[in-house]
Amino acid sequence: MTDRSHTDPQAAEAVIQSKRRFSIVWIVPLVALAIGGWLAFKAISEKGPNITITFTTADGLEAGKTKIKFKDVEIGQVESIMLNEDASKVVVTAKMIKGSEPYLTDQTKFWVVRPRISGGSVSGLGTVLSGAYIGIDGNKAGSPTHSFTGLEVPPVVTIGQPGRHFILQAETLGSLDIGAPVYYRQIQVGQVVSYGFDQSGKAVNVKIFIEAPHHTKVTENTRFWNASGFDVTLNAQGLKVDTQSMISILSGGIAFDVLRETGPGAEAKENETFYLYADQNATQEKKYTVRNYWMLLFDESVRGLSIGAPVELYGIKLGEVVDLRLEFDVDKKKFQVPVIIAVEPERISSAKKEEALKIAKTDPESFMKVLVEQQGLRAQLQSANLLTGQLMVNMVFLPDAPKATLSRHGEYRVVPTIPGSFERLQEGLSKIIANLEKVKFDQIGGDLQLVLKDASATLKQFGTLAKKLDTETTPKMQATIAELQKTLIELQRSIGKDSPLNYTARNTLEELAQALRSIRELADTLESRPQSIIFGKEKEVHE
Amino acid sequence: MKQCAATARQLGLINCHDCHLLIAAAEVEAHPRCPRCGAHLHLRKPNSLARTWALVWAAIVFIIPANLLPMTVATTLGTKQSDTIMSGVIYFMQTGSWEIASVIFIASVFVPFAKLLILIFLLLSVRLRSTWRPKDRTTLYRLTELVGRWSMVDIYVVTILVALVKLGAVAAIEAGPAAVFFAAVVVTTMFAAESFDPRLIWDVIEEKV
Repeated sequence: MTDRSHTDPQAAEAVIQSKRRFSIVWIVPLVALAIGGWLAFKAISEKGPNITITFTTADGLEAGKTKIKFKDVEIGQVESIMLNEDASKVVVTAKMIKGSEPYLTDQTKFWVVRPRISGGSVSGLGTVLSGAYIGIDGNKAGSPTHSFTGLEVPPVVTIGQPGRHFILQAETLGSLDIGAPVYYRQIQVGQVVSYGFDQSGKAVNVKIFIEAPHHTKVTENTRFWNASGFDVTLNAQGLKVDTQSMISILSGGIAFDVLRETGPGAEAKENETFYLYADQNATQEKKYTVRNYWMLLFDESVRGLSIGAPVELYGIKLGEVVDLRLEFDVDKKKFQVPVIIAVEPERISSAKKEEALKIAKTDPESFMKVLVEQQGLRAQLQSANLLTGQLMVNMVFLPDAPKATLSRHGEYRVVPTIPGSFERLQEGLSKIIANLEKVKFDQIGGDLQLVLKDASATLKQFGTLAKKLDTETTPKMQATIAELQKTLIELQRSIGKDSPLNYTARNTLEELAQALRSIRELADTLESRPQSIIFGKEKEVHE
Repeated sequence: MKQCAATARQLGLINCHDCHLLIAAAEVEAHPRCPRCGAHLHLRKPNSLARTWALVWAAIVFIIPANLLPMTVATTLGTKQSDTIMSGVIYFMQTGSWEIASVIFIASVFVPFAKLLILIFLLLSVRLRSTWRPKDRTTLYRLTELVGRWSMVDIYVVTILVALVKLGAVAAIEAGPAAVFFAAVVVTTMFAAESFDPRLIWDVIEEKV
């Protein structure tokens, strides 16, 4: 305590002097505050909305790690993953970046991107190493919301891609899957986006997307058909395998084209509905609305004739066989095969198409009657394919065929038939054989022997005749020839060079020439001096 | 009180901060220097409380981003993963590495916060002229001073990791923004501890007595 009295007054003053003044050190917390404030401002201003997405499973998702990517740009991160109340779904809470609000509407789709191998493609391979992420297909059109239901399969078309959606109604889905290709003339122009039952639950609606610029190819007259897998047909035309591509064999596909007859027509609108035909042939068959049914009664084998076999006239398909069965006629005690054929008159073109159609629709029977009874229209079975033994029905006009009428059998009118070409060939052959059998080959042999005997006798006679000629005629001929020779020599002698005839003739000719000369001289004199004929020859004056 | 020895100031002496030479205050001029080591001489550190407060406030501001922002950004095969200090601790705890988790927790979370709290406590006690257990408070201060430099452990770990894990696309670690703020916390708390004059604890007792 005594020490305290020694307290230095100067020291005490020093304490008082150390008054509080603004220290430069305060800049440090100010700077810190400025930085902290800026960071806080940045954090708050960059804070985006929190959203919840419901998935059926959280496979591959991890809280705090899984990203949300829009066109592969990170725009959010999963904050937490929890089960919903009844543990049936997984609720993923995610923090989005600022500026993502416009895309968060009820049209926006979320799905988990995992490695996926589907029919034609392998996708999301990058996620094998990096882990799954949530894909988002932002769509500004729609009302804003912050809770979404995630898709289990990624949607095929990202919004904003130019093109058009169409809805195809089918009876069954077939082997189609999401992402299955859509072909136009075997070029892929789109794909299947989604499918589901229609409202009635009786049909399947398949939604497809056709990419621009091919979407204009879809018009009101476009027909879609299922081009899945192989289409193997064994018919009258032979074996035919049809497919679009290897991918469509595996994962199915859809093809479309415009009917050749109708022309394209107007462009189809977004979400227009079309019927999905089972195959390409179906699209062609469907357009014939008028079908006339006729019956053909055959009493020969129809082996090789099947339902769907063509009915042809002049080699052009007119229709097809729709039914065939074996029938027993109790009255006649006779088996026969009634074949029902459907003829599609629209297949026949005509200058007066409207009129022809009208006949086909209203009164085909009287028209057929004319054809059958006046022009001799008949039906026959014909081999369509020798290799497979398929038969088809051929309609022929045989004006000189035995008369027949268009009769009635049950509900159908019966077009008369004639045996098929093959059968007729058989018939002809058997006729020839029967005729051949009638020939009496034995008798012919006996006759032939007689003929030969006569012939040998005749030949003998010929021999004696020849001998006679040799012995009697030839010497006489020789004598005659010798005499002829003699005569010729004498003739030569009498009129030869030194013959008296020749000499006399020469003299005569010489004298004749002299006489002619004199006559010429006389003629000359008379011409110059005609008076000499009276006064005679006068003497030369100058002599 | 009876155990309380007289302070150097009471005896008219000034203690050099650096070489701890006792100098008679009478010999000291307006701007005194230690005759032995040449350091500035003060009876008490000038403006100690205000400086310490300023640095403590700065540390408080810095410690928030240091803990909220990511300390490391690890890229493994294209996947980026940001870890704050606490998420790193939790990660090690979950994977069973209790030792590493506790080291990181003590060095990077517990110590900086404890240091700040101790400093605030000391500052407040001086301000409120508390006479409560001055010896323990001094011990606390010494502890703070001693442990200060060790809180840089986290920064060392990060720098080593960044340097070590550089495998291009396969794996890479980068220091996050929190590293800077964490370093700032460590530095400001060290300066704060430095600028605090523990003799102020005793001055109150001296005055009261």
